Amino acid sequence: MKKIEAIIKPFKLDDVKEALNEIGIQGMTISEVKGYGRQKGHKEIYRGAEYVVDFIPKIKIEIVVDSQRADTVVEKIRDAANTGKIGDGKIFVFSVEEAIRVRTGETGNDAI
Amino acid sequence: MAMDMDKNYLQISNALKQDREKLINRFDDFPVIEFMRQHSRILDTYFQQSFEESLVGPRLGLNKNPYAIVALGGYGREEQCVHSDVDILFLFKKHIPKEAVSLIQEIIYPLWDIGLEVGYATRTLSECIDLARKDYEVLTPLLDARFICGMSILFSDLMTATREKILNKRSKNIVDWLVKTNTDRHQHFGDSTYLLEPNLKEGHGGLRDYHTMLWIGRIKLNIRQARDLEYFGHLSHDEYLAVTDALSFIWRVRNNLHLETGRKVDQLYFENQIKLAKSMNFINANGLQPVEKFLGTLHSKMDYMKQRHLIFLSEHGHVKKPRYRRNRNAASSFDKINITNGTLEFSSAEAILGSSELLIHIFEESARLKLPLTTEAKRMVAEFGYLVNERFRSSDNVVNAFEVVLKEPAPAFNVLREMFNTGFLVRLIPELKDIVNRIQYDEYHLYPVDKHLLRTVQAVKNFGNDLDESGCILCANIWKGLKNRKLLLWAALLHDVGKGLPEKGHSHRGAEISRDILARFGYNAADIDTIAFLIREHLLLVKIATRRDIHDEETAIHCARIIKKVSRLQMLYLLTVADCISTGPNAWSDWTATLLRDLFLKISNILQKGELATQQAVKTSAHKKEVVLASASSDTEAAELEKLYQYMSPRYLLYMPDDEILNDIKLFRSLGDRSFVWNIGGNEAVNSRTVRVCAQDRPGLFSKIAGTFTLSGIDILNGQIFTWRNNLALDIFHVKPPPDRLFEQDRWHRTEKVLNDTLSGSLDLSEALNQKIKGDRSIKPRASKLPHHIVVDNHSSSFFTIIEVFTYDFPGLLFTVTDALFSSGLDIWVAKISTNVDQVVDVFYVRDFDGQKVDSEDQATAIKAAIEERLPRIV
Repeated sequence: MKKIEAIIKPFKLDDVKEALNEIGIQGMTISEVKGYGRQKGHKEIYRGAEYVVDFIPKIKIEIVVDSQRADTVVEKIRDAANTGKIGDGKIFVFSVEEAIRVRTGETGNDAI
Repeated sequence: MAMDMDKNYLQISNALKQDREKLINRFDDFPVIEFMRQHSRILDTYFQQSFEESLVGPRLGLNKNPYAIVALGGYGREEQCVHSDVDILFLFKKHIPKEAVSLIQEIIYPLWDIGLEVGYATRTLSECIDLARKDYEVLTPLLDARFICGMSILFSDLMTATREKILNKRSKNIVDWLVKTNTDRHQHFGDSTYLLEPNLKEGHGGLRDYHTMLWIGRIKLNIRQARDLEYFGHLSHDEYLAVTDALSFIWRVRNNLHLETGRKVDQLYFENQIKLAKSMNFINANGLQPVEKFLGTLHSKMDYMKQRHLIFLSEHGHVKKPRYRRNRNAASSFDKINITNGTLEFSSAEAILGSSELLIHIFEESARLKLPLTTEAKRMVAEFGYLVNERFRSSDNVVNAFEVVLKEPAPAFNVLREMFNTGFLVRLIPELKDIVNRIQYDEYHLYPVDKHLLRTVQAVKNFGNDLDESGCILCANIWKGLKNRKLLLWAALLHDVGKGLPEKGHSHRGAEISRDILARFGYNAADIDTIAFLIREHLLLVKIATRRDIHDEETAIHCARIIKKVSRLQMLYLLTVADCISTGPNAWSDWTATLLRDLFLKISNILQKGELATQQAVKTSAHKKEVVLASASSDTEAAELEKLYQYMSPRYLLYMPDDEILNDIKLFRSLGDRSFVWNIGGNEAVNSRTVRVCAQDRPGLFSKIAGTFTLSGIDILNGQIFTWRNNLALDIFHVKPPPDRLFEQDRWHRTEKVLNDTLSGSLDLSEALNQKIKGDRSIKPRASKLPHHIVVDNHSSSFFTIIEVFTYDFPGLLFTVTDALFSSGLDIWVAKISTNVDQVVDVFYVRDFDGQKVDSEDQATAIKAAIEERLPRIV
C-alpha cells in the first residue's frame, strides 16, 4: 500500500477530486494548510502599510491506495493540478505498513 | 410464599408493561401533555397496586412507622416522557426498617425487569430535610414532589417542613444557586437556539429553563402549578399560552426522539433530525426541506423559552448587572420617554398611541445613551407593534432614528437584537419575516438566517474593537477610514434577505428586495445602487478566492471590473469577512482570511492604477471581442476565434487597434512549427516600419530581437511586448527603414536569417555585437547631464516588478538593457519604450523565470547595478 500526499493550489481541489473520482478513488482526506516552497510569500502595500503573506494557503490531499494504483493516482493528480505556473505544488509517495478498518477490523488492501 | 410474590408482581408489572405499550402506540392520538399525564397515571396505578398487594408491607408495621411512596422530578410534575427516568421516594416517618430492602426488591425490581429506568431513594422525613438543606440538587426534585400512595399525612408533613425549614429561611440563597447553576449549565450545553444539535433539556431555551422558572415560582411565590404564573400576573394570558405552546412542541420532539432511539436521550443529533421531521409530519414547503421546517420551528420555540426565561430572571432581580457603564447623567431627548434607574421606559401607553414614533425613538435613545429598555417597555413595544404602518415606515424621523441604531457602536449592548426580539424590526422591515428562524440544513450554516444577519451587523461594528473576531488589522483600518458606513451596515443587515424564497440565487433576489426596502425608507438612487451592489455580489470575493487562481493578474482584473470603485471594494471586503465570521467556525479560518486578504489587496491595486478596470476598458474589450468574432467565416472558425480571444491579455485588448488584432491572428495562424514569423508594415513613403514578431515565448526573446536589429544596422524607435496566455509572444517594434531603399527587401531577408541563427543558438549575439560596437562607449547628452536613473517598483503591481530606466539614446540601448534583465534572471512580460529626442524612458514589467516578483531589497539593488554597469558613461 502507498500513501500519496499532494499539496495543491486551493482552486484545483475540485478538478483533482473529479479526476480521482473518475478512476474510482473512494476516499481522501483534505486539509487546509499554509506554507511555502519555491513560491515564496510576498508582501502587499496598502495605504502605506505593509501586509505580508509569508505562508501561502494550499490544500493537502492524503490518499492511501493499493501499491499497483499509486502511479495512476499520482499521474491523475499531476494532470489535474497542473497550471504550469509556480506554486502548483508537490506530490509525495510513502510506503504504508498496515491499514485497519476500525469498524470491522479488516486489514491491508481490504481496509482501504 | 416466594412463588406467590413473584406471581402477583409478575401480573402487576405485566399489566404496566402492556398499558405502557398500548399508550405509546397511541402516542399520536393525544396532545403531548395529555400523553405525559396518562403515562404518569399508569405508573401511579402500578405503585398503588403494588402497595396494596405488597407482602412485605404488612410486616413493616404501618401504624407504628408509617411510610409513603412519593413521585419526584418530572414524574412528580406528571411530565413523564417515553423513556424518562422514574424518580421515586420511599418516605418513612421515623426510621428505615430493615424490611425496607425487601420492599424495594418487591416494588422496584420488576420495573427494572421490564426495562424502565428507576431512580429511588429511601429516607426518613428528617433525612430528607437535612439532605435537601445541604444539597440543593436534592431539594429541587422535592419541589416537584407528588403523593402517590401510603400515608398521605406524611407527605404533607414533608411539604410543610420543606417550606418552613428550608424555603422560607433561605429562599434568596436557593434562587441565587439556581441562577448560578443555570448560567453554568448554559455555558456547558450552549445556546440551543443557535446549535445544530440542540439539547432539548439542558440547553438554553430547553426544558430546564422552564423548570427553573417553575422552581423559582414555587420558592418565592409558593405557586402549585405553571398556570399560577399567569394567575399571579407573572405572565400575561397570551404569554402563558405561548409558553405552553412552546413547551408542548419541545416535549413532542423529546418524546419522538425517545421513540426514535428507543432510549432516554435529550440531545438532538444530526442522525435523528431527518427521521424526526418525518415522524412529526413536516412536509416540503416554500422551498424548505421538512427537516429545515422542523428545526426552524424548534429553534423558534426554544428561542421563545429562552427569552421568557431571561425576562423572568430579570424581573425577579437575579440577573447580573450588565458589563457596560450606565450613564447616570443621561437625559432622554423625548419627554414621553423616561429614564428610571438607568433603564428606559414609556411615560404611559397613551403616549405611544399619541405618537407611534416613540416606538422607534426608545430604541434610538437606547443606542445613543447605551441604556436598556425595561421589560415592561419591551412588552409595550411588542403589544403596540401593530401601529407600524406604511406611513410610519416612510417617515424621515423613523429612518434617522433607525440609522442611529444601525450605526451606533454596540460592543456589549445590542439594540438591534432587542428590536428584533420584540418583533419590532420585522414590523419595520416586513421582508425579514420570511427569514425568521429559517434553517439551512448543513454543517456549515450554524445560525438561522435571521440570527446570522444580526450577527453580521455586529461583526461589522466590531471591526477594530475588543470583540473583533476577524483577527485582521487590515479590516480594522479599512473600517476606521470608511466614509459612508451606513451603506455597509444596511448591506450587512439585508444581505441574505433573499433567502426567504425557495428559488436559487438569493444574492440577486436579495438585491432586488433591498431596493424596494430602501426606496420605501427614502434613500437616494446612488445609495440604493451601492447597497444593492454589495448584496448582489456578497459571495463574489469568497468564490473567487477559493475557486480561482488569485495569483493570476486576470483574476484580479476580472473582479476589479465587476467592482469598479475602491470604496465599493472596501465595503465588499468588510461585508465578506463579517459574513464569514457570522456563518460559523467552518466558514472563517486563518486560511480563508489569508486568501481573502490577498485577493482584496490585489484587486485594490488594480483599481487604484485605474487603466485596466475602467468602464471604458470593459467596453473596449467587449467591442473587440465582437470584431474578432465577426471576422469568422464559419462556426468552427468562430469557436476557434473565441478561444484565441480568451488567450489575449487585458492589456493587449486594451491597447491594440481592431485591425491589428486581426493581423496578429493571421500571423499567429501562419506560425506553425517555426520559431517565429514576422510581418513588416509601413510603406515607401513613411519613414518608419512596424515589425510585428510573433513567436513562442521564451526568456530573453525580446533582447535577442532587439540585438538582431542593432546588429543589422536597424535603428529601433520604440518597442512593445504583449504576451498571450497560450505562451505566445507578440513583440512589436517601430524601426527606421534602412537608408538604402532599393535593397530594403534584401536587408530584411538578411535580418530574418540573423534572427533565426540567434534563436537557434548558432550565432553568439553578444559577441557579434561587441565586434560591431567597438571603441568609445560614452555618450554626450545634448541638453542636461542628469545621470542614468533606474527605478525598481514593487508597489504598483501585485503581479509584476516594474523597472523604469531613464537614460539617453545610444546604439544598441534596447538590447543592452533587456539583455541585462535577461542575465539577471528576469522575464519581460510588458515593455513600453519611448524616446523623446535623445532622452529615453523604458518601462518593463518583469518577473523571475518562476513567474514571481523580485521584491527583496537585495534583488532590487542587484538589478539596478546590473543595468547601470552596462550603460555607457555620460560625459
